[in-house]
Amino acid sequence: MYGGGTIFETMSVQDDPASAEYQEQLAAFEARIGRGEKIEPRDWMPELYRKQLIRMIEQHAHSELIGALPEGTWITRAPGFKRKLALMAKVQDEVGHAQLLYGAAETLGKPREAMLDDLINGRSKYSNIFNYPAFTWADSTVISWLVDAGAIVNQLANARGSYGPYCRALERICAEESFHLKYGHDAVVTLATGTPKQRQMVQEALHRWWPPLMHFFGPPDRMSVHTETLMRWKVKMASNDDCRQQFLDMYVPKIWELGLTLPDPLLRKDAETGKWHYTEPDWAEFKRVINGDGPCNAERLAVRRTAEERGAWVRQALKRPEAAYVQPLA
Amino acid sequence: MPTTSLDPRINRMALATDVTPSEKPPLDQFGTWEVFVQARDNKPPEHAGIVHAPDAEMAFLFAKEQYSRRGRGCVGLAVVPTDAVWVSAYVEGDQNAYDALPPAGPAAGASEAYVVFHLQKRGKQHQFAGMVEAADPPAAAHAARKTLGAEVPLNVWIAPAAAMHASDEEDRDFWTTLPEKKYRDATAYKTTDKLKAFQARQGG
Repeated sequence: MYGGGTIFETMSVQDDPASAEYQEQLAAFEARIGRGEKIEPRDWMPELYRKQLIRMIEQHAHSELIGALPEGTWITRAPGFKRKLALMAKVQDEVGHAQLLYGAAETLGKPREAMLDDLINGRSKYSNIFNYPAFTWADSTVISWLVDAGAIVNQLANARGSYGPYCRALERICAEESFHLKYGHDAVVTLATGTPKQRQMVQEALHRWWPPLMHFFGPPDRMSVHTETLMRWKVKMASNDDCRQQFLDMYVPKIWELGLTLPDPLLRKDAETGKWHYTEPDWAEFKRVINGDGPCNAERLAVRRTAEERGAWVRQALKRPEAAYVQPLA
Repeated sequence: MPTTSLDPRINRMALATDVTPSEKPPLDQFGTWEVFVQARDNKPPEHAGIVHAPDAEMAFLFAKEQYSRRGRGCVGLAVVPTDAVWVSAYVEGDQNAYDALPPAGPAAGASEAYVVFHLQKRGKQHQFAGMVEAADPPAAAHAARKTLGAEVPLNVWIAPAAAMHASDEEDRDFWTTLPEKKYRDATAYKTTDKLKAFQARQGG
């Protein structure tokens, strides 16, 4: 989801499924996961597991870091002192979440600076929704409410995954998210129940953000041989479509109870199946944007690159030549 | 070519978007520090995660920001360089990590204080278990086995007390204002009232 759909790699040559030793270790590894026990950093793990987790956690971290940008933009222009304080606290939290997640990914063997380098050089992806601009204050409130809501659906699913450090990071993150969701909902409700001008602003923001929100959980999963494996290994916890359904079920009623509309004439809940019907999102557009051709892609990476370049003299002044990279313990 | 942003601050920065990215040397990295937080007096200090920092003072500052900025309260915080932490084997199920220690070496040299942390269950965090005196970490593990082994941990971390940089008793007031910051407390948002008033105005 954070990288825009499922991209599976072939198994590394280091894994030799033909060997008896590999089969034995794989069986023990899968038995542990089957018992509901967590995998910790020093355990044996298949290369596919390690690689997919690094990619997933790293892209989650990048999403938090880049996600701070469209929201941070509105801190200085947030209406009122309390909203400024709250939005500052939220953005601090998002950057903090990125730090927690980078730490978790590092336990799998990829150094922090390699991950940040990959982000800045466009080699790593992040959640596509942050490639869109926040035109008005109302856009900021819709992001704080509904994008965080989407992230929480995903985080609650992943918190039941098999890798210990990722689960521990998600536990901390989920605890901090409850304020984000409340704050976002409150800000949207304030606009929706306010003056006609406020109501119009939030209604228009909702129309702008609905297509990216429908893209948020990624394309419908293609069932491949790896999907089944990653679900058995509790790396992938729920299908993209299941997450999308959960999000719609939780939040469309809350949007409609404010008398706000959504730009999808097909959007409705099937009374019999309990599933939501909707217009299939434009996945070609999604692919175009996530591969670099969105309104804000260049700007997001330019800001991160500039921050890196302009802070380099501080890092150089502080760095100790004898310090070597050490992988985190847990 | 600078792009025009909606954000006036970004326009002021006059960012270039067609820069050839420079690659950092591999492993260009601040050191790694493990962080332990004590949330309340009646709870033991518990592992919280890591920070990357060039020295102990900055590690402590970053840890304070990262791990006690929000949340369940804090009365004490400590950081230790990751490479100063001795790690035991991980054992399974009901086994005791102390039973998997290599045999004790000959007694050697002066004793110093060591801090011991136990992991009781996979997926949980290591928690402070106690302190021992020993000449080196393997000896400390054997000493800890005698006094703390009854806890049957799955995994043990041991670090020299001298390598740990912890907050002082008198630093507790760092954290006294945490509960005052209601603007980041979910319970401080009374959205239901606003919603109900609106729905009443709409006529139910």
